Amino acid sequence: MSVAGGTAIRIEEDPEPAAQGEIPAFADIVRGHQAMVFGLAYHFLHDRGLAEELAQEVFLELFRQFDRIESPAHLVFWLRKVASRRCIDQIRRRSFWPKLRLDEVPEPAMKTDGRDPMLSRALARLVASLPEKPRMVVILRYQEDLAPAEIAQVLDMPVATVKSHLQRSLDMLRDKLARTVGEIAI
Amino acid sequence: MSHLEDELKTALRRMEPPAGFAERVLERAKTPALPEPAWWESLAVLLRPPRLQWVALSVVMSLMIPAAGVYRRERQERVEGERAKQQLMIAVRVAGNKLHRVQQKVLEMGRMDTRI
Repeated sequence: MSVAGGTAIRIEEDPEPAAQGEIPAFADIVRGHQAMVFGLAYHFLHDRGLAEELAQEVFLELFRQFDRIESPAHLVFWLRKVASRRCIDQIRRRSFWPKLRLDEVPEPAMKTDGRDPMLSRALARLVASLPEKPRMVVILRYQEDLAPAEIAQVLDMPVATVKSHLQRSLDMLRDKLARTVGEIAI
Repeated sequence: MSHLEDELKTALRRMEPPAGFAERVLERAKTPALPEPAWWESLAVLLRPPRLQWVALSVVMSLMIPAAGVYRRERQERVEGERAKQQLMIAVRVAGNKLHRVQQKVLEMGRMDTRI
């Protein structure tokens, strides 16, 4: 048990899973949401080291502000919001533009579902080359499967802007992909 | 959903972080954060000699102050030179006008002498 921000947090794993509507212990939260937070950071920054550092910072901020979390749904919303904001800040602060090295792109250890892994890599690289806000919109849309209205809430922007970022990004990706990969039925 | 959107979902799937991620986060969370220093402590750190930033600042200042003085003096001299040049031009113009008028008078007097 630890105290941060005046609220007692259970750091260690719970022997029993949290009941519905109850916030689980911090360790369970990290394990349960690490793929989401790390995925957002990795797809945005395209750098494993930076993505891990950023994901750790997100969870540590959660640890410090645990008393603000009201429910499991709020927890997920909070993690997405803070991870997105930190990713965009990271780019702005360091004038960091993705240095796309092929060796940085992870090997497809996951199931490929019969899809073309080359195409997936090319797409991931193209997404990482989008401007910061449209990039985060695309990642939230396709990694997290969020609707434009939900993305608008996470990124604090109008729904119309989200839709236009999505539309323009898809057009750009379609165009670039056709030029990069060649004639594929997209 | 288009084929491209399908491919995007595959390309942008959630990713597991490197092994031991959660343990590293929990370790950092257990380490007590250092208390924020008071404002006077931050100030005292800045003023504590010898600090590299103070040395650098004094080097920069010792170069900049004389350079600024030289620049100012040169600028002042240039302005004064311009002003003197303008005054000289006016004086030359005035003297030219006067000379011209005297010349006219001399010529007139010469003409009157021949008539007499």
